[in-house]
Amino acid sequence: MATSAQRKPIRWHIGVLLAPAILIYTVIMLLPVFDSLRLSLYGKGPDGEAVFVGLANYTTLLTDSYWQGPFWNALWNNTLFFIIHMLVQNPIGILLAALLSLGKLPGREFYRTALFLPTMLSFVIVGFVWKLILSPAWGVSKTLLGSVGLGSWFGPWLGQPDTALVTLALISVWQFIGLPMMLIYAAMIAIPDELLEAASCDGVTGITQFFKIKLPLIWPSIGVVSILTFVGNFNAFDLIYVSQGALAGPNFSTDILGTLLYRTFFGNQLQSGDPFMGATIAGAMFLIILGGVCVYLYGVQRRLAYYQM
Amino acid sequence: MTQTIARRFQISTLAAHLVLIGFTLLALAPTLLVVMNSFKPRKEIFGAPLALPSFETITLIGYDTVLKRGDILHYFQNSLIVTVCALFFIILFGAMAAFALSEYRFPGNRLIGLFLVMGIMVPIRLGTVGILKMMVSLGLANTLFALILVYTAQGLPMAVFVMSEFMRQVSDDLKNAARVDGLSEYTILFRLVLPVVRPAIATIAVFTMVPIWNDLWFPLVLAPGESTRTMTLGAQSFIGQFITDWNAVLAALTLAIVPMLILYLMFSRQLIRGITAGAVK
Amino acid sequence: MGKLVLEGISKRFGAVEVLKTVDLDVADGEFIVIVGPSGCGKSTLLRIIAGLSDQSTGKVLIGGQDVSSLPPSKRGIAMVFQSYALYPHLTVEGNLTLGLKQARTAASLIAERVAEAVRILALEPFLKRRPGELSGGQRQRVAIGRAIVRHPEVFLFDEPLSNLDAALRNQVRAEIADLHRRLGATMVYVTHDQVEAMTLADRIIVMNGGIVQQIGTPSDLYRRPANAFVATFIGSPGMNMVPGVAAGGVLTLAGSGRLPCTAAANGAVTAGIRPNGFEVLPAGSDGLAGTLIGSEYLGAESFLRVRLTDGTVVTVHEHPDHGWLIDQPVTLRLRPGNLHLFDAESGLRIAEGPDAAPQPVAARVA
Repeated sequence: MATSAQRKPIRWHIGVLLAPAILIYTVIMLLPVFDSLRLSLYGKGPDGEAVFVGLANYTTLLTDSYWQGPFWNALWNNTLFFIIHMLVQNPIGILLAALLSLGKLPGREFYRTALFLPTMLSFVIVGFVWKLILSPAWGVSKTLLGSVGLGSWFGPWLGQPDTALVTLALISVWQFIGLPMMLIYAAMIAIPDELLEAASCDGVTGITQFFKIKLPLIWPSIGVVSILTFVGNFNAFDLIYVSQGALAGPNFSTDILGTLLYRTFFGNQLQSGDPFMGATIAGAMFLIILGGVCVYLYGVQRRLAYYQM
Repeated sequence: MTQTIARRFQISTLAAHLVLIGFTLLALAPTLLVVMNSFKPRKEIFGAPLALPSFETITLIGYDTVLKRGDILHYFQNSLIVTVCALFFIILFGAMAAFALSEYRFPGNRLIGLFLVMGIMVPIRLGTVGILKMMVSLGLANTLFALILVYTAQGLPMAVFVMSEFMRQVSDDLKNAARVDGLSEYTILFRLVLPVVRPAIATIAVFTMVPIWNDLWFPLVLAPGESTRTMTLGAQSFIGQFITDWNAVLAALTLAIVPMLILYLMFSRQLIRGITAGAVK
Repeated sequence: MGKLVLEGISKRFGAVEVLKTVDLDVADGEFIVIVGPSGCGKSTLLRIIAGLSDQSTGKVLIGGQDVSSLPPSKRGIAMVFQSYALYPHLTVEGNLTLGLKQARTAASLIAERVAEAVRILALEPFLKRRPGELSGGQRQRVAIGRAIVRHPEVFLFDEPLSNLDAALRNQVRAEIADLHRRLGATMVYVTHDQVEAMTLADRIIVMNGGIVQQIGTPSDLYRRPANAFVATFIGSPGMNMVPGVAAGGVLTLAGSGRLPCTAAANGAVTAGIRPNGFEVLPAGSDGLAGTLIGSEYLGAESFLRVRLTDGTVVTVHEHPDHGWLIDQPVTLRLRPGNLHLFDAESGLRIAEGPDAAPQPVAARVA
């Protein structure tokens, strides 16, 4: 065996293979995000060019009388939006997943396909379809509710400041319920059959089996679904924009961080665009989302044991 | 014939079906309502919204209006170009990077991997400001190419993540045998490994295709012009224009739904298989 | 009436019949092993006994009671699964007590039963650990413990040793045999390994293709296999099957050797001779002529492979320090009492003659 030191050939191909992805990803995704965040540290100087102001913009956002109202309003609305998703979307998603994963269920594929359909629709469609259906002018909802005796319940929910946000949140839940349903369904069918059979032999069946055996084993997936919901909700924009417009009416009651960002950056009939404050809002959103993810990773995830089955 | 134990559970299965049917109706009803009513004359839309369009009064007047006023085919074509090209680049560059990361050991492998995959959590919209400036300065504002670039960047992290997982499972023996035979690394990737990880590619394709097709934000910000308008953006402006013309609005919505619906029904099995990958029941 | 009785059990999936009419009577305290190749229906049968699968026809009776329509937890059974199926999120203690708590058993009784299982299986050091922290063998013991605490009428084992490595398998096999002796419980055990069947069972049921081939003690199955399948399945290395023709009390084997045989045999037959049923002699002696084509030395013994004149290759047991050489022509003589005759077509055992072991037992064949 020759012992002379041999120069290892340079593995060019590794670089070639990695280059396009890294290039596009860094240049188009990462750099602009950091650039935006960087822009939030600048303000408009006396000559109109950018001047470094440090965290002044953030302070303005949080405390200035002009900015803080809309900001806290948007933040609160966004939080409410998220809470409704957690309380409605995820439990129902879990329920549907549990039903779909029951032993022999004829029509399972049909149900899955049908329940997942709304997720495929664009926000444009969802926004307008529901706007139409809930529109008092058409009256479809009133008729439908009337047929179950709840006709008097109906109101122009999307047009009323105190009900608009909740209504939109529920519409969003309607649209996306397929996702937690699927992810948790996948987790449930990963539970080995023999484990459930052992449980039947122990007399643990039905609903008891769900709470004592299945639920503990799918907590990690529920965790993943929750954090994805969080990230998705705090990034939301499209549904509100399509349904209520950039002004997120009525009366800014449906204004969330995404719409606030859009309006601030691009301007609208009430104000001209402000790139610096826009970037600041983007920065704030980034920090909020990052914060949430960190809390999840370090606080929650650690406690959710992944059991090897 | 012995009395089966399954019979005992029939009541709870019935309850399960009732719940599922209930939610299914809720899921499908809005779409059905819109499609049904798009074929009805105005009077019936208001008079009998829940009824199927009757044979005598079935009308295409809404479609007529919409198809004449808007350039649907053009929008559809734009959406198609953007989605297909972005998908192509995502899969191509994603597969290349995934292969490099999963196959070779080199300093920084783990870091680069984390770097790329971290993008799944990064909301690309926050960089809109910067992206817009970049596109303008490159002269790419209002071009389909700008959209393709953005969606490629957006889809790469997930693609790299999923594909590297799948590629790790391809047998080393297969690849080494090819190397012994003198095949280049590129040939190994494209001719041997890619065909084996086809399920991963199908999963990624379905997952990334839908958000790209349905996206409103980037077409609105980067390419709102008439010539580069995508289907989703186009639908939004239609509906904005025809807000009082119910027939047209319903027709426009139906036309916006149909392509997605067809694609979904064609690929729903793949999609669902992709999401539940690994556990089949 | 036995502890476990199966009457006319059959199972079909659509048009496919996976189990054809099984009747079985297991006595109290008996260790019954159901053995057969993959797909023979043994696991299906076990699951039907457990209540995890429904039979298409027939009844299951445990302790004299018809349990055919009862769920598993009410049948008085406890099952040990191939994959152990322990609850990963519960401790060993939790695993042992879940079923009892579900049945609202008194806390004192639960404690008593758990203590008993822990003592028998030496589980004390693991009580507070989770299954993920245990080795395969330890997990299997916990699974057995979970069955013990239920004090079932019948224990069911579904290939419990298959997931263990070879060395551990022998050890746990011995532990299961010990367990049976200590508890004196009725046990039904499913496996594809005939060694496990032979060493553990009081009686064995051999199955193939959903049909019961034979039910009998290990000795019955070894000495008087009811058909060619059982003959080749039981015993290792397997019985040699040599084609031959019988006429008028004379058997012509492999085209050359002639032996006396029972007059009941007529026409094409298959002769079954175990490897230790042959004696190897130099060529030219009285017997079956053949050529030595291979030899495997195992230390305590050797196995020779001999090709007979008609091309059939047989395995022959020999002394480890035999002097035979490869390609050497040899003669095989049949030792008395080692000839089994089966019908060449149906594989069924042909009634005994002077050259076979005495008294066949009526064997159940489909």
